[in-house]
Amino acid sequence: MIQKEAEKIFETRELNVNMGPQHPATHGVLRLVLDIDGETIVKVTPYVGYLHRGIEKLGESLSYFQALPLTDRMDYVSAMSNNIGYVVAVEKLFGIEAPERAKFIRTIVGEMSRISNHLLWLATHALDIGAMTVFLYCFREREWLLDLFEMICGARLTVTYPRVGGVRNDVPQEFLESLWKFTDEFPSRILEYETLIDQNRIWLQRTVDIGVISAEEAINMGMTGPTLRGSGVPYDIRKHMPYDAYDKVDFDVPIGTKGDTYDRYRCRMLELRQSNNIIRQLIEKLPPGPVMVDDPKFTLPPKDKMMPITHPTKEIAYFILEKACKGCGMCMRACPAKAITGEKKAAHKINQALCVNCANCLVTCKFKSVTVVSGGKGLSDEKLAELAVAPDQLPEDIKQAQQLLVKQFEFIKKGPKAPEGDLYVATEVPKGELGFYFVSDGSGKPFRMRLRAPSFIHAGCLPRLCVGHLVADVIAAIGTIDIVLGECDR
Amino acid sequence: MEHSVTVREITKQIIKRFTFIEILQGMALTLRKMFSRAVTIQYPKERRHIAPGFRGQHALAKNQAGRAKCVGCGLCAAICPSQCIHITRAKGQVDKYEVDILRCIYCGFCVEACPYGAVVLTENYEYSDYKKENIYMKKDKLLSNWDKYMPGKKGEEYFDKFWRPLSEDFGTPPGQSVFKGKKE
Amino acid sequence: MDINNIISPQLLDAFIKFGINVLVIILKIVVVLAIGLLHVAYATYFERKVIGHMQVRLGPMRVGPHGLLQPFADGLKLFFKEDIVPANADKVVFYIAPIIFMAASMVNLSVIPFSYGFTIADFTISPVIADINIGLLFIFAMAGMGVYGIFISGWASNSKYAFLGGLRSAAQVISYEIAMGLSLVGVMIMAGSLNLTDIVRAQEESVFGMFAIPQIVGFIIFTIAAVAETNRTPFDMPEAESELVAGYFTEYSGFRFALFFLGEYIAMIIMASMATICFLGGWTLPWYITQVVPFINYVPGIVWFLMKVYACIFFYYWIRATLPRYRYDQVMGIGWKILIPVALANILITGLVKIIMTMYGA
Repeated sequence: MIQKEAEKIFETRELNVNMGPQHPATHGVLRLVLDIDGETIVKVTPYVGYLHRGIEKLGESLSYFQALPLTDRMDYVSAMSNNIGYVVAVEKLFGIEAPERAKFIRTIVGEMSRISNHLLWLATHALDIGAMTVFLYCFREREWLLDLFEMICGARLTVTYPRVGGVRNDVPQEFLESLWKFTDEFPSRILEYETLIDQNRIWLQRTVDIGVISAEEAINMGMTGPTLRGSGVPYDIRKHMPYDAYDKVDFDVPIGTKGDTYDRYRCRMLELRQSNNIIRQLIEKLPPGPVMVDDPKFTLPPKDKMMPITHPTKEIAYFILEKACKGCGMCMRACPAKAITGEKKAAHKINQALCVNCANCLVTCKFKSVTVVSGGKGLSDEKLAELAVAPDQLPEDIKQAQQLLVKQFEFIKKGPKAPEGDLYVATEVPKGELGFYFVSDGSGKPFRMRLRAPSFIHAGCLPRLCVGHLVADVIAAIGTIDIVLGECDR
Repeated sequence: MEHSVTVREITKQIIKRFTFIEILQGMALTLRKMFSRAVTIQYPKERRHIAPGFRGQHALAKNQAGRAKCVGCGLCAAICPSQCIHITRAKGQVDKYEVDILRCIYCGFCVEACPYGAVVLTENYEYSDYKKENIYMKKDKLLSNWDKYMPGKKGEEYFDKFWRPLSEDFGTPPGQSVFKGKKE
Repeated sequence: MDINNIISPQLLDAFIKFGINVLVIILKIVVVLAIGLLHVAYATYFERKVIGHMQVRLGPMRVGPHGLLQPFADGLKLFFKEDIVPANADKVVFYIAPIIFMAASMVNLSVIPFSYGFTIADFTISPVIADINIGLLFIFAMAGMGVYGIFISGWASNSKYAFLGGLRSAAQVISYEIAMGLSLVGVMIMAGSLNLTDIVRAQEESVFGMFAIPQIVGFIIFTIAAVAETNRTPFDMPEAESELVAGYFTEYSGFRFALFFLGEYIAMIIMASMATICFLGGWTLPWYITQVVPFINYVPGIVWFLMKVYACIFFYYWIRATLPRYRYDQVMGIGWKILIPVALANILITGLVKIIMTMYGA
């Protein structure tokens, strides 16, 4: 009776706490709305989208080549893996295969990216749980890897290093040596992190039996990567659907047993060692050979072969042969300097005073009427008419350069054309399974680009991991699923 | 036999529990690290080594005669994923070549797209300013960047190494880097 | 007009004496406050340097040589920062909360002795502002007061994080106050006094030279409880930055924040001084050291005192750099299920030993 009266007077309800999007432990701009009863979590609702940039939609308006830097900005913690995921998918769509050496290099940098990602994960996870020294020790090694990235491609985070059909440039010798030294030292560094947290009773109390998820449930939730493997499911795309050079190396897939935060932590720590091992094997086996596929349809042509026309000492002038010109007006439209004039169906003319010698007319003309005059810059029209020869009679190197220039312009302005159809290609990025789904309508741009981002799916698992635990465990759960909101929100 | 093993295990556990051994190990590590060399770089005084080919602020290359190599074909503007390059031409030369640095994502595609080797990314990464106009790169600023950051041989070397792909990427060049065994 | 007509010589004498006493006390307060606050300022610098080097960094390096002026730069910055008061805050309480916290911490400085008294021209000056007989209890009482500052700041901010931080703090301080008090009962039994100077004297005369050896259990409990009491890692529940942003002072800025910050460091120095005085022999050295190295006696006691205090503070920093943070319920569990029972057992054993010693030793 009294209790009923009391219930009437004191209405109790859960405290509603907004955790994020500005919060030190939500790894970016994740917003969680927590309903807490005292300190116990009753309900968790994750809200995403604060970092939405429309990468999928942007991909539809960019060519397959151009869209590559977008993938850097998804999971910016391991940009290299995202790049590789993208190029592997596009290569499959194009039906080409990268050369052996490029595949090896890509696998090496992919594993470097995995190490650097796991280091950042460990750093932030430990910092969230309060061990701040691990954070800085991890960053010490991550710096090393980022410096190595800078050595090969000039950027530390947003690397844009792999290309469709290979990699941008070959790796220098110092890179291999420095990386080898890194792999020598890295296991001892892992031991340092483990000394601080692995057996520490506070760490164990904070992680063991926190956020337990069974194997079946984890699969149903769509978890992938180390987050799934912590529950004991040995699913790893590198092992089951090997891409790049993963079929040529020997490695284990570490799995957990219970599926709690500690198991997932152990999985990633073991993966660090495995990745280190993979890098060592690959460096030892790195074969000589080209780093770009020799298929002019899908790669930029070699620049040194264009030199006969593009080198500044050549002093090129362009001239329209009156006889060959059909007056179609293509060159007139292509000319960015508006230097070409002429009536329709009559021979066009280049105004040499306005011409910037950019080769746009040369590559657009279908009738071989635009020709190249070496050393013709600044000469009068009459003189040029004297010197000009038909494109067929030009020297061999200039002819080749002209063909390559045509390819260069076409590649950049229209993009390499993909065959019609759709496909889904998944790769194993450090966070899980990153899938690219393309619908191609046969043009140079995807009709639809869809990304399966592991972070997004893992963010959806948060309520399952948190409910029933305490506020502090939410932080541990966010850390253990290893999400990056750039990838989650895209 | 088995019995003694479990007893040993249990004693081990008890010792671990009551001696705080793992915490002491951790504390020993942090104490040891206190006397090791710090990895900090005192930024404005010291600077980290910038690898050649760093993708920093843009510059327009000059030829031997000291004129801009750029002819204004517009390929860089066409490939730019963030569309931050604006070019206009007048009287047979490039009138305006502007890079909106605030939009640029430093992917380096403009360098790859340029058949003339006219645009480069320099090692300059310190160009913050209070005014937007100062960050918006005009043609003369880009040309002076070339003299400033790519003097002499450095510019040529840049094109040798980072203006890709070259024909050697499609073959096996001599002196390609390979694993040379553990250095003893 | 003769002065003797107005006031008798004896009264005048007493009056002068009283005046000088008041003057001495004021002087002491000024000295202790100035030097105390300087130590607090440099405790922050010391922390950043120690933790920096443990994390293979350098710590502050820019302001002054090796960043030595950093505390002043910080103070200046906080002083000139905008003072933001949340719109829905309970203004009056919001204003007084940091003052309560700071005052409660600072008052403790008045009962901490730094050395034995010394005599200058008939005046015995003891280097403590208030040499009261219940110094130990006074510190407990004031530490208990400090939590009011934390708790009402959490309430008055009208922010959920601050609220949670305040609640955690209240629960934590209540639990650990008990454990800390009980851990010191052993010391009280052994010293037979609550006066801090007497406790040091008792240690100097004891066989071990310091109570940390016979009272090792009490010492460990005190250390753990002191870390919890001052809200530091691994027990920094009320301000766990990765969970509650900044806990109870999330909404505070500028100098009000500085008051909390200073109060926390003063509390830490107080706890380190307590450990020094109650367990490590204060400003005295054990006889087995002074006997072996006789010339060590010429070093003034305050040097030993400060060295011991800074060693304790270093220990605080050291565990902060090493350990992760406990969870709230685990902190409570440790306090109630482990520390308090062990402390009680320690009291029992100490008391029994004391009884047996007085029975047979006398």
